Amino acid sequence: MESGDKVWEVFVQKKSGLPFKHVGNVHAYDKKMAVQNARDLYTRRGEGRELWVVPTSEIVSVPLDDADAFFDPSEDKPYRHATFYEIPDGVKHL
Amino acid sequence: MKITIENKEAKFLLRIADTALILGQRVAELCSNGPFLEEDIAQSNISLDLFGRAEELYKIIAKIEGDKYTADDYVFHRNEREYFNLKLVEQPNEDFAWTIARQYMHDVYVQEVFSQFQSSSNEELAGLSAKVLKEIRYSYLHSKDWMMRLGLGTEESHRRLQDAVSHLRKFVEEIFNWDELDREYYQDCDKIKSNWESEVNATLDACNITREDIPSQSMRDYRDGFHSEHIGHLLSIMQYLPRAYPDAKW
Repeated sequence: MESGDKVWEVFVQKKSGLPFKHVGNVHAYDKKMAVQNARDLYTRRGEGRELWVVPTSEIVSVPLDDADAFFDPSEDKPYRHATFYEIPDGVKHL
Repeated sequence: MKITIENKEAKFLLRIADTALILGQRVAELCSNGPFLEEDIAQSNISLDLFGRAEELYKIIAKIEGDKYTADDYVFHRNEREYFNLKLVEQPNEDFAWTIARQYMHDVYVQEVFSQFQSSSNEELAGLSAKVLKEIRYSYLHSKDWMMRLGLGTEESHRRLQDAVSHLRKFVEEIFNWDELDREYYQDCDKIKSNWESEVNATLDACNITREDIPSQSMRDYRDGFHSEHIGHLLSIMQYLPRAYPDAKW
């Protein structure tokens, strides 16, 4: 497409109550075209009941340079997982 | 194979089925030729909906006719004069504006048609209509949206849409030249026309497209199997394979 278009990230909800999942992106000039294009590309085989589109430029991500500072500290802290508890015999659905 | 259709209701439904099929074939020509990837897929979806709709209608027709022929027989083994589609839908994809204007005028028309079929005494037709109206609604929103974008877009997009509408409106008159069959199987022919005109005129006004006076046309009616010059080429491409290789299987 020519200048004027934007890239939009597409999120699809399979059915009411479930979380929206990122499925890819589309090109479009505005919100209306973005949801139509998303519908035609990502829900044509019954993938969902609801759609979100978000301009890619509006998504805030962690700068690549800071990835170590953001994520490495959690790698050697297994105690943050809830796996150090004795599960009482009576608990059935855990 | 010479396909004959006896029943009045089958003859009437053939007009609706053929119109869906021929438009489906026209729109399918855009597959891999769309203006951009997303719109290419949108057009392919619309085309597939039209083929699906046509197939279901041919099955209903086949059943009424005692299963003498299959849906494929109706599609691949009839010649030009045995097709009864609106001339509007066989018009070529001159440019994207033509594609959109043709689709929009068609969508408004079939929205009226299938709304009336919902209360048809033919239960299969009534059932099919409920499903089909959702598809039509989406296609209508899509084509109307593009009417506005093109009409109110750039100088070039406006000019192209104006050219398309001026040309395609010549093929509208025959839609409303109702005959006995139409009067028998639609609940209200006049309503189809008045709703079509008020909807389309409002949209053309809103997207800044003028309705030029069209001289009265001396075209012969699609209900008698008459066409513009484009149908033969369309059929030759669509029917080539099963006619050249009658035993071919998917």
